[in-house]
Amino acid sequence: MTTACIRTGLGAAILAGAAVAAEAHDALTTSVNWSRTVSRIVYERCASCHRDGGTAFSLTTYAEARPWAVAIREEIFARTMPPWGAVKGFGEFRNDRAMYPSQINLMVSWIEGGAPEGDPEDLPEPPEYPEENAPAAETVRVVRNGATLESPVVIDGLFPRDVPDGGSYQIVAELPDGRVEPLVWLYEYRNEYGHAFLLEKPLELPAGTVFRGIPAESSLDLIPPPSEPGVRD
Amino acid sequence: MRLLKRATEKPRRRRAAVGPLMAGVAALGLVAACAGGDDSRAGPGAMTDAEREAQVQALFDAGVYFCPMDLDVRSSEPGFCPRCRMALVMGLPEPVDYTMDVTVTPELLEPGGTARLDFVVRDPWEDRPVTDFEIMHERPFHLFVMSQDLGHFAHVHPTRDSETENFHIDLDLPRAGLYQVLADFYPVGGTPQLIARSFIVPGGRLEPAAVGVDYTAPRQGENLQVELVTEPAEPIAGQETELYFTVTPGEGLEPYIGAWGHMLAVSDDLIDTVHGHPFIADGGPEMLFHLTFPRPRNYRVWVQFQRDGVVNTVHFDIPAKELTF
Ligand code: HEC
Repeated sequence: MTTACIRTGLGAAILAGAAVAAEAHDALTTSVNWSRTVSRIVYERCASCHRDGGTAFSLTTYAEARPWAVAIREEIFARTMPPWGAVKGFGEFRNDRAMYPSQINLMVSWIEGGAPEGDPEDLPEPPEYPEENAPAAETVRVVRNGATLESPVVIDGLFPRDVPDGGSYQIVAELPDGRVEPLVWLYEYRNEYGHAFLLEKPLELPAGTVFRGIPAESSLDLIPPPSEPGVRD
Repeated sequence: MRLLKRATEKPRRRRAAVGPLMAGVAALGLVAACAGGDDSRAGPGAMTDAEREAQVQALFDAGVYFCPMDLDVRSSEPGFCPRCRMALVMGLPEPVDYTMDVTVTPELLEPGGTARLDFVVRDPWEDRPVTDFEIMHERPFHLFVMSQDLGHFAHVHPTRDSETENFHIDLDLPRAGLYQVLADFYPVGGTPQLIARSFIVPGGRLEPAAVGVDYTAPRQGENLQVELVTEPAEPIAGQETELYFTVTPGEGLEPYIGAWGHMLAVSDDLIDTVHGHPFIADGGPEMLFHLTFPRPRNYRVWVQFQRDGVVNTVHFDIPAKELTF
């Protein structure tokens, strides 16, 4: 009993020490591991680009991801990876690629806790990467800051063009009845990763709507809902 | 007795006061150590990094109950997280992300008016409305509300509609501009969620808050004063900062919705929101929070402490510096 207590007391001391010295010794102080949790987040949020044959170095295995741990934390904190380029919660997008706060927490806890691997038995199925079909080139309207709609539109998506690097831009639609609809809040949007923001629900904007918040040198494509198959006018 | 005595001590002895508390928190690891049958007798100094890692790993492997919120807390027995008091769960659940629809009425919001927010949470598998929530800090649904200028802050609890079982709340809109709400809930069978939504009250300007630097002077709440010391004194973005709060008077403190303290840190541009509870607290006047400011910006940090039935909400404006070599 006494020995057990000494032993456990020591364990506790080490644990407390480990928490303090986590940075210095990379001691494991997290319940989050690669196999069970982090791999799933990476597959969902990063692997579309970070994989063999993708547009960036592969992060799909523990061996590949582990050396990048510190850089990953930096990119996640700075919101530069994944390069989604918009702040969550300002407009809602069905193709949203930004990490959830819970995912950020888990990845940061994993990295700060020593980035343990866990049991490879827990790994999920490797993801499949469907070819992404860019929305068909519908007739889009292009608007600039201060533009006023002369006729009503229904929009299904937004594509920002020529956005200056590194800025923060809250783009809104001011409706004639006085309402202000958040459209998209660009943050760390990079034209090289430029993409459409596809709305969760189509948005009707009446004639007289004014667009605000678009940087002076930029423009915004208003993407209409896809026309139904077989229906053409 | 102890509380009274502590209250009369000079508040400067933060470091020393935290020592015994730290041991209390480590007791959780103690349980794991017993179960793990860890055999090493060498002190920390005598171990190589690899041995230390193996030992810590063994301690952790022995613990099968986790706190779903404080990811470094675990135990080999069921119980409650000493930090946030959430029930520990068997095995860390895989993260699942729920969707949340928010309807804001009326359509045209006005400064000085109110808005009703209706929330429908849907599960990610069948997209069906979720009505079963874990009780987290005594409530099934927490909501933080901030105006873009960070001049308005509220931590409120939407109520459940008896018919639909969905949550709703009426919010005051003291000013024009952008509002951000952060919904904090934990669906049964899922993982804790923190979901942001914004809406705009017309008439204001959309620009970041002017958050300055103001964190060394004590703050006066309703019935207590709060003093803050950070370690390091000048916090660095991306690195953990320790926040030592001392409240005076130190007696009469009570848990407020299930914790000795609540903290929300928000960057001046509203992009980062970090929510936390004391890393170390025992009902005495000193509490330690851990916080990593994600980016080099100024942050407004709200803390809430309850004393004699009164909730005190105060804030500090803390800059996080860029790490330079
Ligand atoms: C849309 C494609 C895409 C996605 C999704 C993506 N990345 Fe990247 N990432 C890139 C590219 C391309 C680079 C190379 C960047 C460069 O050359 O500047 C990169 C670079 C990086 C770097 C190295 C940065 C440096 O220079 O130090 C890290 C770390 C990183 N990504 C992490 C992640 C993580 C973690 C995720 C998921 C959470 C992620 N990325 C998602 C495309 C992507």
